[in-house]
Amino acid sequence: MKTKTLEFLRNFQHQLSRSRRWLVVVVISLCLIPANSRAQGIGDLLLLLHTITTTLQGPIGDALTEMRKVNAAVNNFRQQIIWPLALISQARSFVSATRAHYTGLMSQIEGIKNNSATLALPMQLESVFRSAQSGSMGQIPSIYTQIYQPVALSGSAQPAQRNLMDIDDAMSMDSLKTAMVSDQTSQSMLTLADSLEQQAMTAAPGSASMVTAQARVADLETQAQLAKMLAAQLREEATKLAHQNALLKQRSVATQNLQNQIQQVLTHP
Amino acid sequence: MKTTTRSRLWKVLRNAAAVACGLVVVITLLPSKARSQLGLDPCCAMMQIGLNTISGLLRNSVASPLGSIQQSQQQSATFEQQVVFPLAAINQARNMAVQFEGQFVQMRQLFQLPIGSATLPMPQMLEQSLLSGNPGAMPQITSNYYSLYGTVMAPANAPQQVRNLVDMTDAEAQAAMKKAVEIDALANLELQAAEQINQQLQTTAPGTSTILEAETAAWLVRANAYTQSAMAELVRVRSIELANSSGQLKFSASHTATLQSTGNQVLQQGVQ
Repeated sequence: MKTKTLEFLRNFQHQLSRSRRWLVVVVISLCLIPANSRAQGIGDLLLLLHTITTTLQGPIGDALTEMRKVNAAVNNFRQQIIWPLALISQARSFVSATRAHYTGLMSQIEGIKNNSATLALPMQLESVFRSAQSGSMGQIPSIYTQIYQPVALSGSAQPAQRNLMDIDDAMSMDSLKTAMVSDQTSQSMLTLADSLEQQAMTAAPGSASMVTAQARVADLETQAQLAKMLAAQLREEATKLAHQNALLKQRSVATQNLQNQIQQVLTHP
Repeated sequence: MKTTTRSRLWKVLRNAAAVACGLVVVITLLPSKARSQLGLDPCCAMMQIGLNTISGLLRNSVASPLGSIQQSQQQSATFEQQVVFPLAAINQARNMAVQFEGQFVQMRQLFQLPIGSATLPMPQMLEQSLLSGNPGAMPQITSNYYSLYGTVMAPANAPQQVRNLVDMTDAEAQAAMKKAVEIDALANLELQAAEQINQQLQTTAPGTSTILEAETAAWLVRANAYTQSAMAELVRVRSIELANSSGQLKFSASHTATLQSTGNQVLQQGVQ
């Protein structure tokens, strides 16, 4: 029993001695592990700092430098090629000079009076229908009737002929009135054109498109008014054609009647 | 025996105590956080150098170009705001559209003034249809036209050639009258469109005014096309008028030849 106990204690001491060595190894390893990790962390940190500086110097720095160059180039292009201040001023001066040069000449031409009548009534009528005052339109029928005479009385002409006279007179007077309105609106359009030119004189490159759009709208108005004048002319021409045709019809019927009467006379001598 | 056992036990306990003490010393000697925070750690020194380098790079390689870009952008913005798109010029252009509106309305009203001048019932009816600017009034034009100018002569009253000529002339005269009504109606629509576009221009921006300009240009093309169609109608009216003159000359020549022939026959019979 004693021997077994002694053997056990000896083994225990031997194992303890071996474990103690292991314990020392474990403790030293534990002490060394954090030191290795920290060294590894420092290495990573240095690598990271290197990556950051390289990125800042390379891709970011280069890109920003390029952007600066492009920006400067775009700015220069805009200020020196597309919208150079000198050329903007030059264009405005050109508009101003053109306006100064032509406005007077055109006003003189516009101011020329084309009235040519010599007798009192024609002079009066001409004066009214060239007045470009739509307010004077009411005077047209009375003066027109005095010059061209009223429609024949019912006893003096056939109803068909009286109708022809009346529609011819009506279309003629309508067109004269339309021409008066057209003259008046033409003057308004000239005023608008003048405003547009004045606006162009002070416009900026960016606002010029707005002035152009405005001019286009005014152009559309003019086209519409021109169409109305064409419509008046069409009415007049159509009336003239219809008048000639009506006369032909009347002559044809009259000829036929005459032929019938002659035959009647010849058959009953 | 007991003494030996005690001695060995004591040795074991002593070794264990030594190991424990060594462990305590090692743990005490381990680096603490406080040391690295004080900048004594070489790791912190390296980090400081690295961060200083980054800061310098941010200042020189990033901030400097960015500042330059900002300055350039600012200059560009100022140029655009003061030279290219000055607000005063933009507002001035908008105000012009407001002023034009009144003028456009006035002009449209002028063209709506009554200009009818006929005095007899039938001419009045035709004139009313012609000046109506209403394309729906086309059938009335036909009936009013025939009431006023008469229909084509009956076959017994005129040769077929003359009847053809008369019918052709009536057709063209009526077509021209109808075209005049159409053109009037289209012109009214154009005037309305112009006023509406002008209203849009009062609130437009320089960037969007080109869209309105394009819209107006489209309307102008349309207006020109309508004007062209009216001109074509006018040309047709005059062509028919010219053709009528020629036709009448031909009829006259034919009649003269017939008369001459008949006269010769009569004279020959008288001689015999």
